Amino acid sequence: MTSLRILRAGPLATLQDEGRFGMLAVGISASGPMDRGAFRTAGALLDHAGATGIEFSQALRFSVDGPVQVALAGGTFQVQRNGVAAPWDDVLELAAGDEVAISPGTSGNYGYVRFERELAVAPVLGSTSTNVTVGLGGWKARALRDGDVIGFGAMGAIAPPVAAPVNHPGDDAIRVLWGLHADLFDADLRQRFATSDFAVSSGLDRMGVRLNDGAGVFAAQRRLTLVSDPIVPGDLQILGDGTPIVLMRDHQPTGGYPRLATIVTADFDRFAQMRPGQIVRFRPVTLEHAR
Amino acid sequence: MTARMNIVPLGDEAMLVRFSESLSPEANRMAVGFSARLAQSPPADVVEIVPSLVSVQLRLRPGTDFRHLVGELSLMPWPEAETPAGQEHDIAISYDGDDIDEVAALCGLTRDGFVVAHGAEPMRVLATGFAPGFVYCGFHGEKLTVPRRQTVRPSVAAGTVLFAAGQTAIPSTPIRTGWHVIGHTGFRNFDATIDPPTVLKAGDVVRFRAS
Repeated sequence: MTSLRILRAGPLATLQDEGRFGMLAVGISASGPMDRGAFRTAGALLDHAGATGIEFSQALRFSVDGPVQVALAGGTFQVQRNGVAAPWDDVLELAAGDEVAISPGTSGNYGYVRFERELAVAPVLGSTSTNVTVGLGGWKARALRDGDVIGFGAMGAIAPPVAAPVNHPGDDAIRVLWGLHADLFDADLRQRFATSDFAVSSGLDRMGVRLNDGAGVFAAQRRLTLVSDPIVPGDLQILGDGTPIVLMRDHQPTGGYPRLATIVTADFDRFAQMRPGQIVRFRPVTLEHAR
Repeated sequence: MTARMNIVPLGDEAMLVRFSESLSPEANRMAVGFSARLAQSPPADVVEIVPSLVSVQLRLRPGTDFRHLVGELSLMPWPEAETPAGQEHDIAISYDGDDIDEVAALCGLTRDGFVVAHGAEPMRVLATGFAPGFVYCGFHGEKLTVPRRQTVRPSVAAGTVLFAAGQTAIPSTPIRTGWHVIGHTGFRNFDATIDPPTVLKAGDVVRFRAS
């Protein structure tokens, strides 16, 4: 059987499919790609796309021992095939023994490799996505490591086309809807939240992205005791020490920290790709303007 | 009836039906009852129903008309204060946790007295969902209501029996917690190889007994 060999897995390299939906009540968030649009774009580049792909950060090197079509998308990375530069956001027709080396490029945290074939990984609770927090699904319920060998399975389904992302020229702000506990923050603080610069910190993973609050918007935030309520991806919660954190795909399903706002679905992928140090501004919108 | 239904968006692809902003037995029963009733005939736009302690999360099809759905939900008959009868389960506990004597003393009881009091009444599963297979059970009544610990344990093992705020909680995976550790159980409410992976559901009845 043709297989894929991971020669070098960067940090946070995991297998993902669309996600493990329907399991929130048993305590499992859906996981799935951090940049869902890019994951789908990579699939749509192929004639056939296996449901499971690789999500990686920073770098990834792999080889195949048989012919297989692969597609690469998400952020901007540098890629070499057998030592020769190849284009990102494109399809590679790989032959037996070919080696693909991906290294950091100009933008983004997460890149995706999709294959024309399925990966031979048993779904857990309906999905092959890796939930690293819980240790569930994916390849042996963990992130990929150097030396992992994963077999290819059947030819994938014909991938649906992907709508081009909608650009908002001249406005890089991340749109948010006011969150579950927004009314516990006074109007002045909400105003400062909407007009201050935050920065993505280096404390980021599939669970959450901690923000640096240079303006001290939440510095005086007092600890609130709240009943636990459900969390959704994109929720911005304020920890007890005043640190703002945006909860991502492997979020805890419920929580009791105050949640001020939620990033709109249409801007989630763009936020997930923001690198440590990048400035982020949030713009509250109404539901009608969230889509 | 003090609990009232309040529906708020959770981002643009979910909404939360809240029965209270603080924990009460009544609001919990409303949430569990509403969830069970909605699950019998879910509106077309609702793709996942998630009961929580005092609220129910509805995950929605992208593009759902919130106003229309809120109207539809508001027309639903109110859930009974009593939720549909849940299944009954026995859970055997070794009352050997590090905090058992401290907790017993806080309740004004001996260790043996606490063990008897803890298992005296059947408890309801109040909620699931905090972590895989995790359950909150309650309520133990005023005499067995103690606050959380001042410090947090970075990790307790699956099957640790936790106690605080008039509730007993049992994780099925390692978790971080500020609750008291009163014992351990061999009961595991999570097996990823089975679908559904859990045994206990919100609204079920559990009986604790000393093993």
